[in-house]
Amino acid sequence: MRIGIVCPYTWDVPGGVQAHVRDLAESLIGLGHEVSVLTPVDDADGADLPSYVVAAGRAVPVPYNGSVARLAFGPLSLTRTRRWLRRGRFDVLHLHEPTVPSLSMLACFAARGPMVATFHTATARSRALQVFGTTLQPGLEKITGRIAVSPAARRVVVEHLGHDAVLVPNGVSVRQFAGAEPLPDAPPGPTVVFLGRIDEPRKGLDVLLGALPALTKQVPDVQILVAGPGELDEPLPDNVRLLGLVSEADKPRVYASGDVYCAPNTHGESFGIVLIEALAAGTPVVASDLEAFRRVLDDGEAGVLVPVGDSAALADALADLLHDPERRRHLRAAGSRVVQAYDWAHVTRQIVEVYETVAAAAPVELDEDADEPDVEDFGQEDDPGRVSETLRRWLAVVRDRVAP
Amino acid sequence: MSSVFWSVVVVVLLASYITWTAGRLDRMHARVDAAWAALDAQLVRRAAAARALLPLLPTGPEARALEAATSAALKAGEAGREVVENDLSRALRAAMPLLQSAPGSAQARAELETAATRVGLARSFHNSAVHDTRGLRGRRLPRALRLAGHRSLPAYFDVDDTALSSPT
Repeated sequence: MRIGIVCPYTWDVPGGVQAHVRDLAESLIGLGHEVSVLTPVDDADGADLPSYVVAAGRAVPVPYNGSVARLAFGPLSLTRTRRWLRRGRFDVLHLHEPTVPSLSMLACFAARGPMVATFHTATARSRALQVFGTTLQPGLEKITGRIAVSPAARRVVVEHLGHDAVLVPNGVSVRQFAGAEPLPDAPPGPTVVFLGRIDEPRKGLDVLLGALPALTKQVPDVQILVAGPGELDEPLPDNVRLLGLVSEADKPRVYASGDVYCAPNTHGESFGIVLIEALAAGTPVVASDLEAFRRVLDDGEAGVLVPVGDSAALADALADLLHDPERRRHLRAAGSRVVQAYDWAHVTRQIVEVYETVAAAAPVELDEDADEPDVEDFGQEDDPGRVSETLRRWLAVVRDRVAP
Repeated sequence: MSSVFWSVVVVVLLASYITWTAGRLDRMHARVDAAWAALDAQLVRRAAAARALLPLLPTGPEARALEAATSAALKAGEAGREVVENDLSRALRAAMPLLQSAPGSAQARAELETAATRVGLARSFHNSAVHDTRGLRGRRLPRALRLAGHRSLPAYFDVDDTALSSPT
């Protein structure tokens, strides 16, 4: 299949959606599909863009839904999107977060034909939807298939857009994380790892730092490894080490360097991919009792859940787990079972099923020329030319099967 | 002069809005038709996959029920389709336990599971298209001007396909 994927957020800034798009694209290419990804890129001259990425120009940082999003929305982005669509001639167009005012929304309005949209966010209040709800409808109604990455994200689609969405979880490349070696300079003693933007309050580093005095009292030689971009104003205790932004290649090793992974997020986490990565790397998890986390951790079977924002409870949970190697071994085993359902091999198969169903269920070819008379002509619904090629192939298969 | 000018502007704007809405409605109906065609194909595929299980089933009430259900499903038109497909789901649910141990049934069962998953997907996509179309048709302007023309109101397709499809 020829698949066009649109990522609304800047490619060279790390983020969950970007990582999802990259892994999905590579997984699809591995299966033999032709894939092109359209995305905003800040440093288009940078030679390290993968060959399947098409840059749509720079994006501007905008505070959005409680965090900073870098979005591309304007005439230049629209022109580039149209050109990409025209050249791509995709069998399926896969938009990520089409309700965010960025490239995906532009592509949704410019394109026609089989469209799949993936909804990542679990934030119930979307500004764009609140302000432009009915205005967006003519664009959003062109989407044939909707995917939600979590039950929370699915609920947002159902409640705000009135649509059903198929649940396909985020993928993790389990192989890449399993059996990772700890970092060469990893602390020898009991170590807690935190990964995420350190200056974004909802990632909850404050909660972990608040737990630190009590934790140090119970486990005197504990070390905290903090990996992630951002700036902190206040000075940190001696047993906290900042690693800064770590490369994708080093990420599994960061997880593997900890005896426990800590996810003290306060809210806004729709999925908890960090948890799955940690579990895949074989590191037991202590996480806030958010709905998404509880689901990944199988209601606490595969990890420890603590009340959201409760530093005292977090300190106790971390200390208990650091003192109990038997429990950690048990959680590691449970974790490696849990992650199988999130492996990209499994997830990509499900997404391709959605593509194939959508390609059969959408009426027209993907062609952004809205003025083309044969597409706009009324009264052609019954023209067999409008029934997609995939559907006809399937019907042939079915007919062969049914015929004696 | 200016009142004539403004009336012309209003009439032109209104006319283009109505034309655009009519076109939008037409495209929505095309989407529903295509989504139904895809769902239809997946239902037929499921019935065919169910039929392939028949030779593997021991003779008995389950086999007879499944044979009747697949025949009905393969012959069914759009009317009464939900009932027929629900019967098939029920017959399959009754027959599946007998197949778990049947030698050589793994491939047929896998095919059936795939088909059932696809029915679930196609049904979800079809119902989304129906939802949008009914939403727009229910609005005041399309209703007053009968922008939908002679086309019948698309109906949701509700059938119990959960029993066999793996949760996606």
